Amino acid sequence: MIQNKKAQEEMVGFALIVIIVSVILLVFLGFFLSRPNNQSTKSYEAVSFVQSMLQYSTQCQDYYGYIPVSNMILMCSSEVSCSNANNSCTCNFGSLCNGNNCINSCSILNSTLNGILNKSWIVGQGSSTKGYSLNITSSNGGIFSIKAGNITSNSEGAIQNLPSKVGIPVNVLFNWYY
Amino acid sequence: MQTLVINKRGQLKIQQMMIMLLAVTLFFVLAGMLVLVTQVSNLKASSTIIQSDNAKLLASKIADSAEFSCGASFGTVEMSSCIDADKVINLKNFIKEYGGGNFWGVQGLQIRKIYPDNSGIECTSSNFPNCDVITLIPINGTGVSNFVSLCGQYNVNGQIYSRCDLAKIIISYQGS
Repeated sequence: MIQNKKAQEEMVGFALIVIIVSVILLVFLGFFLSRPNNQSTKSYEAVSFVQSMLQYSTQCQDYYGYIPVSNMILMCSSEVSCSNANNSCTCNFGSLCNGNNCINSCSILNSTLNGILNKSWIVGQGSSTKGYSLNITSSNGGIFSIKAGNITSNSEGAIQNLPSKVGIPVNVLFNWYY
Repeated sequence: MQTLVINKRGQLKIQQMMIMLLAVTLFFVLAGMLVLVTQVSNLKASSTIIQSDNAKLLASKIADSAEFSCGASFGTVEMSSCIDADKVINLKNFIKEYGGGNFWGVQGLQIRKIYPDNSGIECTSSNFPNCDVITLIPINGTGVSNFVSLCGQYNVNGQIYSRCDLAKIIISYQGS
């Protein structure tokens, strides 16, 4: 009877030690997994890229001068044309252009964004950038979408909302994968 | 005889307990040492990453400082990550007054146009905007960079236009 009790006590002691060791291991594991990932500057880079890209002046012009990408997105969304230098397309106040040689704002937007992305994010071997994606959407549908390289599990991104004159907001979402 | 057997059992129990305690202590010491070794070996890498991160943030901070930023010169609203090329080209002539970079705590500072295509021509007040690089302080080694838009006044067929190109602000710092 006494020997049985002793065996039980030993089992309880052993179980206690196992529980204590497991709890300590879990605490260690939790500590390592919950360490903050220091990726804030990568996100900052994406934000700077989106801001700079939206400010870029396209080759299209209106009454005020060269049209920035941010306005071209809204023009493309509203299917408004723009004028190239030295042609018969005339533009008035409010970015309204009329004439035979007016250019489709979406085609200029596509070529400009492709050019910017190709030069800014070099994807390939030896580069820290494995891939990128840019999606410009409004509630009416997609305006521009591109994906290049590999989509990896490590990514940083930036989002920008553009208020539209006609009340349809546009979202610009950029992600880069490393 | 019976007392001797009980004593021997007691000794055995004490030995068992000691071995168990030693094993548990040894386990924690080894685990602690493993953590310590990992942490120490990561210290140098962490310090390099922190330095690089700080430099990237500094690059953005410089771009938004009064000496560089566009403010509301190229639109109705203040733009972030926007550098006024006219300001910077003038600043280039007075860079010595800024302690050759000590003012910002950098060893090299350059703004390089990346789109449209560039041919690497250094900008001066006489050749702007037909140029691509504004070197305020020459970059030594590799630097860190961040995206900015480089805006300036352009003369197109006698008419003055404002336009913004995509550029990178590159800085080199001690340790880069």
